[in-house]
This record gives sequence, C-alpha cells and structure tokens, in this order.
Amino acid sequence: MEKALIVDGLRKSYGRLEAVKGVSFEVNAGEIFALIGPNGAGKTTTLRMIATLLTPTSGDAYVYGTSVSREPEKVRHMISYLPEEAGAYKNLTGLGYLNFMASLFADDKKQQKEFVSRACEITGLGDRLKDKMGSYSKGMTRKVMLARAVMTMPKLAILDEPTSGLDVLNALEIRNTIKALAKEGMSVLVSSHNMLEIEYLCDRVAIIDKGIIHVSGTPRELKERYNAQNLEEVFEEVAK
Amino acid sequence: MRRFKVLLFKELKELLTLQMMIPLIIGVVVFLFIGNIMGNETERAKEPKEIIVLDNDRSDYAQAVANSLTSANFIVKHYTNITTDQAVEEAKENDISVVVEIPEGFEKGLMELKPMQVKTYSIVRNFSLMGSMTTRIVREVLNAMNDYISNEFMKSNFSVEDPESLKNPIKTVDYTLIGDKQAEIDPEAVTGFIMSQTILIPILMFIVIMFAAQMIAVTVASEKENKTLETLLSTPISRISLVAAKMVAAGIASLLMAVVYMFGFQSYMNGVTGGALNQVASMGSKEAFKALGLSLNTTDYIMLGTSLFLSILTALALSLILGAFAEDVKKTQGLVAPLMFLILIPYLLTMFVDINSASPAVRTLVYIIPFSHPFLASPNLFLGNYETVLLGILYQAMLFSILVVIAGKIFSTDKILTMKLKWGRSSK
Repeated sequence: MEKALIVDGLRKSYGRLEAVKGVSFEVNAGEIFALIGPNGAGKTTTLRMIATLLTPTSGDAYVYGTSVSREPEKVRHMISYLPEEAGAYKNLTGLGYLNFMASLFADDKKQQKEFVSRACEITGLGDRLKDKMGSYSKGMTRKVMLARAVMTMPKLAILDEPTSGLDVLNALEIRNTIKALAKEGMSVLVSSHNMLEIEYLCDRVAIIDKGIIHVSGTPRELKERYNAQNLEEVFEEVAK
Repeated sequence: MRRFKVLLFKELKELLTLQMMIPLIIGVVVFLFIGNIMGNETERAKEPKEIIVLDNDRSDYAQAVANSLTSANFIVKHYTNITTDQAVEEAKENDISVVVEIPEGFEKGLMELKPMQVKTYSIVRNFSLMGSMTTRIVREVLNAMNDYISNEFMKSNFSVEDPESLKNPIKTVDYTLIGDKQAEIDPEAVTGFIMSQTILIPILMFIVIMFAAQMIAVTVASEKENKTLETLLSTPISRISLVAAKMVAAGIASLLMAVVYMFGFQSYMNGVTGGALNQVASMGSKEAFKALGLSLNTTDYIMLGTSLFLSILTALALSLILGAFAEDVKKTQGLVAPLMFLILIPYLLTMFVDINSASPAVRTLVYIIPFSHPFLASPNLFLGNYETVLLGILYQAMLFSILVVIAGKIFSTDKILTMKLKWGRSSK
C-alpha cells in the first residue's frame, strides 16, 4: 500500500527540553490516522514538524517520499495544515479569506474558483460567508478554517485538534466532513486529546505521551490488546 | 509573481485600515487648521493697524514722526490735547495696541542736540508673537526716524554730505568660500539657505522610518497574535515572497503617510512663516548661491534619494527582525522604541554639531548609525564631499544586505515561531 507519510525517528528539542523523543509511524494513502494523547504530549510539535513549520532536531518525515527537512517547499505543495488555534484575518469576510488562501495555492483563476466553491460547500455557511470573520462564532470560524484546509484536496491534510472547543453538533459536522474527504482519497493526520471522538473517526491511532509513541494500531486492535472498553481505558493502561 | 501580488494586496489591506487612516487624516486636518489660523493671523498682522500718537509738542518734527508711522502702514489717531491716561484709556477702549507719546519740547530739544524721549505704551492682550508685532514695528519706525533726524542735522548744521559714511566709517563686505568657490554673501545667509533647503529631509525621514518600523513590526506580531502566521507559513508561497510582501507593503504605506503628513506640515510651515521658507532663495542672493554651487543636480538628488531609500529599507529589515521577537502587537512598541533613538541621535547631533570636525568617538558613533547618512548626505552634497556620501551609501547597502540575510534566515527556519524575548529569562 502506498505510504502518504513515513515518520522516522523525529526529535525536537527546545533548549534543554526535549518535546518529541524519536517518534516513528506511517500513514497509508486515503487513511485517517490519529495521534492521541494528553495536553503537552508532543502531538502539536510532531504535526508542526511534518507541516514544515518546525525543523526537526533529528530524524525526518517523508510525505509521499519527499523529505520535510530537505525539501520543505515541495512538501508544502502536497499538504495542508490546520493549526489548533488557527486564527482569522478579522477584517476579511469568510469569502474574502477563502479567496485569499485559495489564490496562494491555485495555479490560475479557474482553479482558485474551484477551490473556493468547494470550501463554500463544506462550510455550509451560505450568505454568512459575506460577513466579516470578526463577527463569526468559534464554530463558524473553525468550519471556515477546516474548509480552507481541505478545499485544495491536499494529498495529506494535517489537522491539529480539528474539533477543539466546539459544541457537540459542530464537532459532529466536522468529523463527518473529514470522513467524507478521506473516502474521496485524501490522507488525513489528526491529533486530539479527545480519545472517544478519535475512536469514531480514525482508521488507526497512535498513543503519544511525554514525546514518545507508546503504541499504535486500529482502535479495535488496541482495545482487544488491552482488554479495554474504549481508547481512554487503553491510554490509562499504556500510561501506567 | 501572482502570489506575491496577492500577498502584497493583503498586507496593504491589513495596514491601510480605517482605524489607521482616521488618526492620519485627523493629524493632517489639525496641521492644515493650525497652518490656516497662523496664515490668517500673519495676514491680519500685515493689515493697517490703528495707533495713537499723543503729540504734546505740536511741532513739525512731531508731525514728521506721525507721518512716518502713517508711511509704515499705521492708521494714526493724532491727539494733542489729552493726558497720557486718557490716551491709554482710549487705546484700551478701541482695541488699539500702542500709544506713542511725544513729549513737550521735542523739536526744541532735538534742535539743541539733546536726546529726547518718545514713550511707547504697549497694551498687552495676549502673549503670542503676533501680539508684540505692533510694538516691534513702532520701534523700527522710531529707529528709522533717529537715522533720518541725525542725518538731517549733520547735513544742515555740519555740512556733511554723506552722514551715513560719517556714522559708519567701517563698511563690511562678506565673502563666503565653499571649496574653491567664492561669492559675496554673508555666511549666515548661506547657512540659512541650506537649512531651508534641507529642513524637510530629516522630518520626512523621521516620519517614514517611524511609520515603516512600527507597521512592519506590527504586521509580523499581529500574525503571531492572531494565529494566522502558522497557516500562512504552511502554504506553498516562498518565504522570500512573504518577507518581501511585508516590507514592500510597509514601505508603500509609510511613504503614503509621509506624503500626506508632509503636505500637512508644509501647509503649517507656510502658515507660520508666511511662505518665507520658499522665498529664501529669492531674496537677492540667488546669484551668490549659484556661484557657490549651492544647488543640487540630478546626480546629487539620486545620491540623496538612494541614501534615504536605503535608510528606509534598513529600518524595515531591522523592524522585521525585531517584530519576529514579539509575541503580540503590544510588545512591538517596546521592541521598536530603540530604533527611534537611532534616528533621533543623528538628527539632533547633525543639527548642532559639525560631524566632519567632531571628535573621533562622536564621528564613529554617528557613522555607525545607518540613519545618520541621509542627514549627512545633503550638506555633504552641497559641500561637494561626494566620497563621504558614497561611502555612507556603501555602508548602508552592506548593512541592509546583512539584515536581509538575517531576516531571511529567521523566516525560512522555525525561528520565526520559536523566537521570543523574555526579559530576565532565557528564551526557549
């Protein structure tokens, strides 16, 4: 099976603090893979290294065979990254923001239009997209951000806590969108500290804590291995 | 290029917001308003003003004083039979500023070559410069009268044909030399001319650099604060485009502001000086200035422009680096503040000190500061010191290149996200 992502011994240190201590895992093409763990486990640092924002202290990651350390610009053409606390340009309308971001990815006007049209559909916000983003609720902003991240149909979407801070209905909508996009062939790497939602969303998961991946597999495999009812119980066992 | 344009447009849109434009417009309106008031006041000061002449002598010489004041554009109210107090009261009631009292025996005293006292009573209603203008003019008229009367006496009593030569037997003729050029002109007039020609350069520079530095640091810090930077950095646009778009946008916006402010400032100055700034060269000294080579040719302007442009670019690059340290917009104020001092030091030093003859320590300090060079460029160009100007430009270009490399390094690595300035604590 084609590998969308190969992570090989990634490490990241901030001075004397080692946030990620040699993480390795793989994501298959068209798969939804999750990094789950508590706050401060090293999920975001790992995702930021794969998204070419942080330079690994050692190790490397390969997006469809391209190294994030050696060819970051090439990698950026294949990925899309949704940061956990992605902010908006409050002076722009939702539509203006999507247009701006689409123009940074698109090769021409036609493609830009196509991206924006897809994004508008994903958000489901209709005419509210014509309002300034400063007037949006958190749920609306997050929907626009997710739409922005996936409108280009990247080969690998990296989504950091995509449902963070959202109410049940908004979170459900976003999970459904991610699932639908994966069915269309997009590979997705998500992170979350909400282990129950990940169980519903992902094909495979890796449990990360204190910068180390302790175990990985499908939710069912892990639950069976640890004789657990859910992934939270698996994490409890792993963390012991 | 298309992506760069998109970024540039977005940066300009972020910078030229209504919140930013309103204070700018208010500032210009205030400048225009004050300039207009000053201009009106100056014009009003030129209008004929009423003045009271209390003539206690009723002589021909007393009448000559009154006539001189009339010639000096005053409307003279001539009184001969009231007291000083009554004259002053009359002035107060009729909004008249000055009473000139000619004493009894004025003409007789003058004939006997005794110095005579003419008293002036100035009614002060405010402490503005315009308020004291009338008294100043009266004094000048009386001084002229002094000259006139003494000349007349010399002619009639001592048969002196040219009393002026007798009173001022030594005449001075001022020559000013600049390099190998020489002209008959007072050096003070030359200094005044150069000041009038270059006064706007430091002000323009100060405004542009202040705005540019603030704006670029704020654009970087606000991207961090609003959490938009990570998204932007993960897109397929080159980091160079990102840096360049921010720099160009800040440069355009600050230039726009400088032009608007300069327009307002010029209107204000014209109001204050009554357009005198622009008239300096038309005061009969044009030929002398030309003979001294005190005019800038195209090459001079190009060199001056290059020096100014490099200063702005250096400020932009430096601010971009400083902005990268800030975690939010509030912190940029403190980070960019040292830049203001780097502009103020050469501004003040070049105003009061001749840098070329200053001590080596002061000279080195001034030359090291990249923003000194445009201040030094214009006088040096007037003096024909091209080498100094060229070396300054070279230094600025080198420093700018180094700063751009550093800024590029910061933006092309994860330093842009991880750099923080924590006073008293180590950064991580």
